[in-house]
Amino acid sequence: MPRPHLYLLLGLLAAYGVSYFSDRIDPYHLDILIGVGINIILAVSLNLVNGYTGQFSLGHAGFMSVGAYLAAAVSLFLGPKLLGEEGGTAFQQGLMFLAALTAGGLGAAVAGLAVGIPSLRLKGDYLALVTLGFGEIIRVIFQNVEFLGGALGLNGIPAYTSIFWVMAFVALSVFTVTSLVHSTYGRGFLATHDDEVASEAVGLNTTRYKIVAFVIGAFFAGAAGGLYGHFKMTITPTGFDFTKSIEIVVMVILGGMGNTIGVILAAILLTLLPEVLRPIAEYRMIIYSLLLIVLMIMRPQGLFNFKFGKTKL
Amino acid sequence: MPALLQLNQATIKFGGLTAVNAVDFTVNDGELVGLIGPNGAGKTTVFNLMTGVYQPTSGSIHFAGQPLAGLRVNEIVERGIARTFQNIRLFGSLSVFDNVRVACNLHRETAAIHSLIRLGAFQRDEAAITRRAEELLDIFNLRRFRDAPAKSLPYGEQRRLEIVRCLATKPKLLLLDEPAAGMNPTEKVDLIRLIQQVQKQFGLSILLVEHSMKVVMGVCQRIAVLDYGVKIAEGSPAQIQSDPKVIEAYLGEDHHKSLSHH
Amino acid sequence: MSEFLQQLLNGLSLGAIYALIALGYTMVYGVLRFINFAHSDVFMVGAFIGYYLGKLVPENTVWGGLVVLIVAMLGCAVLGMVIERLAYRPLRGAATLNVLITAIGVSLLLEYSGQVFFGATPRTFPAVFPSVNFTLGSLVISSNQVVVIVVTALLMVGLQFIVYRTKIGTAMRAVSLNPKAAQLVGVNNDIVISFTFGLGSALAAAGGILYALNYPSIDPLMGVMPGLKAFVAAVLGGIGNIPGAALGGLLLGTVETFVNGSQWSTYKDAIAFAILIIILLFRPAGLLGRATVEKV
Repeated sequence: MPRPHLYLLLGLLAAYGVSYFSDRIDPYHLDILIGVGINIILAVSLNLVNGYTGQFSLGHAGFMSVGAYLAAAVSLFLGPKLLGEEGGTAFQQGLMFLAALTAGGLGAAVAGLAVGIPSLRLKGDYLALVTLGFGEIIRVIFQNVEFLGGALGLNGIPAYTSIFWVMAFVALSVFTVTSLVHSTYGRGFLATHDDEVASEAVGLNTTRYKIVAFVIGAFFAGAAGGLYGHFKMTITPTGFDFTKSIEIVVMVILGGMGNTIGVILAAILLTLLPEVLRPIAEYRMIIYSLLLIVLMIMRPQGLFNFKFGKTKL
Repeated sequence: MPALLQLNQATIKFGGLTAVNAVDFTVNDGELVGLIGPNGAGKTTVFNLMTGVYQPTSGSIHFAGQPLAGLRVNEIVERGIARTFQNIRLFGSLSVFDNVRVACNLHRETAAIHSLIRLGAFQRDEAAITRRAEELLDIFNLRRFRDAPAKSLPYGEQRRLEIVRCLATKPKLLLLDEPAAGMNPTEKVDLIRLIQQVQKQFGLSILLVEHSMKVVMGVCQRIAVLDYGVKIAEGSPAQIQSDPKVIEAYLGEDHHKSLSHH
Repeated sequence: MSEFLQQLLNGLSLGAIYALIALGYTMVYGVLRFINFAHSDVFMVGAFIGYYLGKLVPENTVWGGLVVLIVAMLGCAVLGMVIERLAYRPLRGAATLNVLITAIGVSLLLEYSGQVFFGATPRTFPAVFPSVNFTLGSLVISSNQVVVIVVTALLMVGLQFIVYRTKIGTAMRAVSLNPKAAQLVGVNNDIVISFTFGLGSALAAAGGILYALNYPSIDPLMGVMPGLKAFVAAVLGGIGNIPGAALGGLLLGTVETFVNGSQWSTYKDAIAFAILIIILLFRPAGLLGRATVEKV
């Protein structure tokens, strides 16, 4: 992709533009857009790990929760100290929020490193299960940390998330993943996915590639978590469980693993679908799971993948 | 001058099975050496020892004077040993161009982070890599397949691509694991020419494991013979062909026909 | 000391249930090399079959309990075979990850269908077996625990018999060692795999009933945690290894019960995952399994 920086700039400008007109958009639709954006960030970041690098991680929600909690902690505990009683100007709040999100992302990245280093020597099913296990352990830990709310979670998180922030991070995550992958260095992720033995034989350090993908994926999951927390204003450990990880995985699969545009489309589709199916909300998950099964049988390369025919996952 | 690659009593045991037994072996700078033996003799295992896939149970392996003990596969590639595989291992889902390009990572000028920052240095590096990869493809007549998925290439081209990919890592020693497997006589002639061309053009040393006597005799200056993990003979092609121990080893497999005919 | 024995008993009783579920995971992994995520939900369906049937038989009778157990086992055996036929067989030979994802889909399907048709609110499992407490010194043993231990023991003996003394069992072992070779000697892999699923699902159903007897609150998502833990048990014992699954189940149940009785009780769920991670990192073949090496 030529000149990714240009696209990043355009994305940020678009973010600013949309947010400028955001008071003309009805709040319900705005909320949906924010939800879509957060899911795009989650799906695109997971796609780097699962899709491009071929490491099947089922614990992405765990990193999201680390980011959500850390960002919320910064806003709730550091915020009042730094911004003072009145809450500071909009600019100061924005800066504070950026700091919170970055902290969330970095915290999640550290968690990604901690989980990745031991796990990434495992393959396939085993890696999936270990990451699932770690995701659950993270959940249980948060359930037991009293000053972060324990099982009841945190509430009263300031509503800093706006369409601008969401779109900005969407642009940033898409930029990061795509520029990384579409470079000579980035071909290494795909090579690692395709054939690890051959990758090592051309001098690539496959373990490092896997860890880098994992950590970057975790960073953006954490940022998405921070955005989520400051959107819903309440977070609980159970909101970031295995089911949430599965939802993100489904987006990546539906989009076609290793296909960023497809994954973005899938994230949009799968965020809007529950809204559309709201009248039959009870049956939503049933349809969802049937979709998964049928997709795997009929079109394992995903709905939006038009590359080389049936790609091996 | 010290040997480029030196195996000293290299041994590897898998449980009760000694796959490679106290093998002494050298490859000197600029040589074209062959390693032959009946099926199961341990030839690929020797390759795997040289490339770091296995660590020897005893004995040592030195390359350019440095021991290879404990090094990871990719670290050994960095030192200058590249290999092809018995069952071709290309990056099937990547394009022909990307297969070579990804192997250029070893000699990248810019750090990984530059793929995000993309200043002038990065652009120049990428352009140099693209030029280099395309040149390599050109030399081996693969340029027209540049953007095709590697797995769509005909068999002979795939084997060539695997060798080209190795060359992208700028090796000093090239290990070819049965490059003539599955080839017809014409293709074998082309392969012989290819190997000679590679050696001359890139100034490499080459170690070849092969079953096809035609290729081995046609290309190697020196041949070592392995049987049941033990080196039983070494010498020029003429010497090997008439060595009774070698004939015996192949006779056991009913291969002596191939020794004199192929 | 008596505290310890009591916990040990409780642990073995819980462990027996994990073992039953783990056996299903391990047998399917043995013949198909894949982890059947939906197995935990078959466990749940078993419990629900028991719930509805339990209303039709008189409470507190041994024969009533046995009828419920057997019908649930049969019902789930059929369910397991249907799932295999419809969702997994079309993917025979596809990449393992694809099948894994399908399994996740089936699991979600069962859970959410359960929520729609059974309702999400928990129900109380009827006391289908007679429920009395025995005391042995200072040890309190509930009859339901006895039922668990007896039924599990009988089922495991039965399983051993099937796997080692019958034609189909031998075929199962053949397919798990080398499916192509098994076909070449005339084994019908499809039938063997179907049978394996049926057998594993029947054991899961038994696990469901026994679990519900001791922890009578049942709901459509009840299978998730025990399922994951039983899976850990299977890996602990060596995935694909039948005695390993039993051993793993008993060990895990015991460890979990002791943790539950200690000051770390809120971390009891995390224990199973911690064990999983430790095993996969240090001894992926499990306690009784054999490590495999990839040929380059």
